[in-house]
Amino acid sequence: MNDLAAAAAAPLTGAATPAKIKVRDVHFYYNGYHALKGINMDIPEKQVTAIIGPSGCGKSTMLRIFNRIYAIYPKLEATGSIELDGENILDKTYSMNRLRTKVGMVFQKPVPFPMTIYENVAYGIRHHEKLSRADLEIRVEQALRSAALWDEVKDKLKQSALGLSGGQQQRLCIARGIALRPEVLLLDEPTSALDPIATGRIEQLVEELKHEYTIVIVTHNMQQAARCSDRTAFMYLGELIEFDNTEKIFTKPGKKQTEDYITGRFG
Amino acid sequence: MSAVYARRRITNVIALTLSGVATLIGLVFLVWILWITAENGFSALKLSLFTKITAYADEGGLSNAIVGSLIMDLMALLICAPIGILAGTYLAEYANSSKLGASIRFLNDILLSAPSIVLGLFVYVIIVLPISNMTNGSISFSGFAGSVALALIGLPVIVRTTDEMLQLVPGTLREAALSLGIPQWKLTLQVLMRAAFSGILTGVLLALARLAGETAPLLFTAFGNNFMTVHPLDKMASMPVTIYQYTNDPNPALHAIAWAGALLITLFVLALSLLTRIMFSRKKVSYE
Repeated sequence: MNDLAAAAAAPLTGAATPAKIKVRDVHFYYNGYHALKGINMDIPEKQVTAIIGPSGCGKSTMLRIFNRIYAIYPKLEATGSIELDGENILDKTYSMNRLRTKVGMVFQKPVPFPMTIYENVAYGIRHHEKLSRADLEIRVEQALRSAALWDEVKDKLKQSALGLSGGQQQRLCIARGIALRPEVLLLDEPTSALDPIATGRIEQLVEELKHEYTIVIVTHNMQQAARCSDRTAFMYLGELIEFDNTEKIFTKPGKKQTEDYITGRFG
Repeated sequence: MSAVYARRRITNVIALTLSGVATLIGLVFLVWILWITAENGFSALKLSLFTKITAYADEGGLSNAIVGSLIMDLMALLICAPIGILAGTYLAEYANSSKLGASIRFLNDILLSAPSIVLGLFVYVIIVLPISNMTNGSISFSGFAGSVALALIGLPVIVRTTDEMLQLVPGTLREAALSLGIPQWKLTLQVLMRAAFSGILTGVLLALARLAGETAPLLFTAFGNNFMTVHPLDKMASMPVTIYQYTNDPNPALHAIAWAGALLITLFVLALSLLTRIMFSRKKVSYE
């Protein structure tokens, strides 16, 4: 593993992007089951990093450690260190509140809150900041615009979010996440429940959002990783097999396992 | 047609017939009960039921019993709904996978199936007797004691439905709110309660429907009263107890009044069920 760790940790050739998140020797246990086995990787700032791999390889687990959402369940344990801007977020003293405003997350299935469209976006902002009504309206509009949803919902902000289509709901969830102005955006298979047109819109959105946010996207759709990421990590059985420029991973992967996976020989 | 296929078809026909017959038997009795109640009840229905008290016996009505039942049912609901909703919330959101949670659920299920006469006796011992001893007998049986006994009937229903309805809310909704930095209490109160609102309300109305028809818990607690009273520390009349007493009487005129009372309770419970159905279908939150 050490050569892999070194390879993953080594700076990218040609790309002078600093690492936003540094993962060092992270192990993860589900009720005793060893799900992640010593992961080392650097997530570059303001780029899209895709994590691919077959089901059960630990890619979602990896993502769920980045905002410590796993911690709401009992008997789950992460060891090692994950530095976000130089501070270890696995440290018990790292404020959960601070972490979750810095790291936003979008889930596989769109889960709008049972509220109006406007309230869905305003809810999180209101919890963290005291804004005047006018300022709040501006923030909600900005978030909805960034999520490419504003034009579709501007006339029905007071309607229930549950009436939106699946693709619109997912963009609303992205808007809800970026309304808090996070620095990192985690996307956990954000299009797996959506049709191709909605998927295309989300991917386009990811492309636009990367100018402002560091994005990590977990996907089991390899074309999606190839289309919208700058860097791709391939995970298998709880290990990080290869992590490199997306182009390189998909054209001349360094490892046999990666090649087998992307050419569809297993997975 | 292969032998396997033929056998499957026969098995299917048999299973379908058996379940169909079982449904039919269940329905026959249900319709029969409703029919008998309606037939006897409607013919005995008259205005004086709502205006006269039971003191006039076969010349009287049920007004004090109707008022007494409404007061006690409502007070019971006021006692058991807040406790039940909070306890159900605790089970679903805070103790879901803990041993403590499992034990509480188990105890709640026991309470759910406890014989109602036992609950009546329990309240008799913990409320009626002590108050009677303290006041030298001037206050003994009371509407309040009756409501506590009824609340014990409704409580486990509300705990269970609240627990189940909250557990039906997808876990990803919790994760989504927590990943925005929303604290657990706010998530529970403002997101989950809202998502499960119609389900929880349904549980409360079901509990009301359940406790409205109970007789046994009231026998040793509210006792009964032939006169109109709204004071919670008086002995209080109720529909089920009055029906019980009237059916035990040899006077057929009282039987008629009892039928009318039975019909009124049935209609009340029916109205509650309809209300819950309407609410559940209209305000249903779906995440599919």
